[in-house]
Amino acid sequence: MAKIDEVKEQVIIGKTKMVPGLVQAALDEGSAAKDILQAMIDGMKVVGDRFSAGEIYVPEMLIAAKAMAKGVEVLKPSLSGEASTSLGTCVIGTVEGDLHDIGKNLVNMMIGSAGFDMVDIGVDQAPDKFIEAIKNNKNVKLVACSALLTTTLPALKKTVDAIRESGLQGFKIIVGGAPVTAQFAEEIGADAYAPDAGSAAEKAKEIVAA
Amino acid sequence: MLTKRQNLLETIRGGKPDRFVNQYEAFDCDPGSIFGMIMGDPIAAASPRVGRGEPPVKDGWGVTRAWPPNVPGAFPVHDEEHKVVKDITQWEKVVKAPRLDYPQSEWDKFKPKIAAVDRNEVFVTIFGAPGIFEQLHYLMGMDDCLIAFYEEPQAVKDLIQYVTDWKLSYAKLLCDNFAPEVILQHDDWGSHRSSFLSPDMFEEFFLEPYKKWYGYYKERGVQLIVHHNDSYSANLVPFMIEMKVDIWQGCVTTNNVSELIKKYGGKISFMGDIDNGLVDREDWTQELVEQHVRRACEENGKHYFIPCITQGGKGSVYDGVYDAISRAIDKMSKEMFN
Ligand code: B12
Repeated sequence: MAKIDEVKEQVIIGKTKMVPGLVQAALDEGSAAKDILQAMIDGMKVVGDRFSAGEIYVPEMLIAAKAMAKGVEVLKPSLSGEASTSLGTCVIGTVEGDLHDIGKNLVNMMIGSAGFDMVDIGVDQAPDKFIEAIKNNKNVKLVACSALLTTTLPALKKTVDAIRESGLQGFKIIVGGAPVTAQFAEEIGADAYAPDAGSAAEKAKEIVAA
Repeated sequence: MLTKRQNLLETIRGGKPDRFVNQYEAFDCDPGSIFGMIMGDPIAAASPRVGRGEPPVKDGWGVTRAWPPNVPGAFPVHDEEHKVVKDITQWEKVVKAPRLDYPQSEWDKFKPKIAAVDRNEVFVTIFGAPGIFEQLHYLMGMDDCLIAFYEEPQAVKDLIQYVTDWKLSYAKLLCDNFAPEVILQHDDWGSHRSSFLSPDMFEEFFLEPYKKWYGYYKERGVQLIVHHNDSYSANLVPFMIEMKVDIWQGCVTTNNVSELIKKYGGKISFMGDIDNGLVDREDWTQELVEQHVRRACEENGKHYFIPCITQGGKGSVYDGVYDAISRAIDKMSKEMFN
């Protein structure tokens, strides 16, 4: 098997110790950095799909994302020379009044693994913090808002409203979290909803490309 | 009419209940505590608690707890500065369980409210939180914790052992002093769609510790173990049964509770199926509540099922929702038990 294929395989099973060495070996074998990155992104898509299907669980997803991050570290010096492969910047955060972050962190990893540059503004973030982050970062293509409490569903709506009213443009808004439904997402004017981190990454790519 | 406790026992034993058990009614034994269960003892009293809008405090395990004024509940803080365990392989150097050696006089202070419980009507129920898994992620944050199961399994097992031993010693003191009839123990094992750990991993790390802990309570005369876990965990029910859980409280709708009752009724009972996420919301109405309660009661039936809000104690985030559910359950009892 070519080293680049091994990279993908080992990302899927979350071999954090193996991946950096394999990435280096793939580079040595002559694979282009952006192709190796793509192999890892493809690997994470497999991980996301398996998670959505209930075949793997949160720890498996975390170690896969960690393995990819380790691989990217090795890749970084070689990547900077090549043309950008980024799908754009994604601002992500949990809305005001809500401190849950496990789901948001997973979504962060998966959207990041799909090829976005992530800006994580953290938990309990007021609408103007999202707006500030959109203004302060280049090439924002996606804003992802997480809410885990029924008490913060109104804050999710407030956040989407405020972002729309700010007049800022050029990005899509995706929302999610346990009490959020596709219907609610539509009602509050978000562009997309996804039930879990794997499908969030797929949806993200889809709406940004549209 | 059966008493609340008789009616509960009839329900979970497949006997002749004369109405639905109404949420937490049979465990509601201490009017002075927020959840209506016994929550005070010298160890709990010594662990600092944070109040809403107050500065963060360190609890008995050294976990920093914050409660900003604008959020509905307290939270463990897990930035690099505040995590208790930064490196799981070094946990022994930093984890120190709270002391358990309080003089008898301290325990005696809590006994009057145990004596005051009307044992004909309700069970002497002790509320316990957090669980073993929760204690683990409180110490290091969920991400680090879940990764550690893969990267440092032995260290995780050792820490679980340490936490379990402490919980067993605590359990002994509770039994010696309070002779509880029911333990309602929290430990959330998943999100609303999946368990945090795969069943294999869950079995490997948690089955034995829980068997020991809950088994000990049973040996000491505790009648019922009620385990609170408001997440998807249908895949873990066989382990719950093996641990001697009598009632799984908090089973959310995504578990397909009526299927679970068909499969496991008689071995374990299910309390919940009325999700906070669905009814406990700003725009709730009595009609919305009744619709969910009706579905739950009709689908699940009279045996091995207790209709209940999924959260781990009586009450709700929005005022009035809990009572609205209770009224709706009474209505269903009139209809279905004629
Ligand atoms: C773990 C947990 C906690 C932990 C959180 C630790 C942490 N660092 O986040 C602790 C114990 C600290 C906690 C605290 C509280 N919690 Co809590 N918690 C949970 C629990 C059990 C699981 C949530 C979780 O992490 N799931 C795991 C992740 C992987 O799943 P997820 O969050 O759903 O995310 C996935 C999807 O939703 C989606 N997703 C998430 N975000 C986004 C964003 C986008 C853009 C997209 C596309 C998708 C997406 O993808 C994720 C991955 O697949 C839920 C119960 C439940 N069944 O959900 C309650 C729950 C959310 N909590 C609840 C409550 C009430 C609280 C407290 C108020 C309790 C208290 N009194 O202290 C506090 C709240 C503090 C606050 N202000 O936020 C309630 C909410 C009830 C309600 N009315 O809404 C729940 C539902 C439990 C219940 N039934 O009572 N909680």
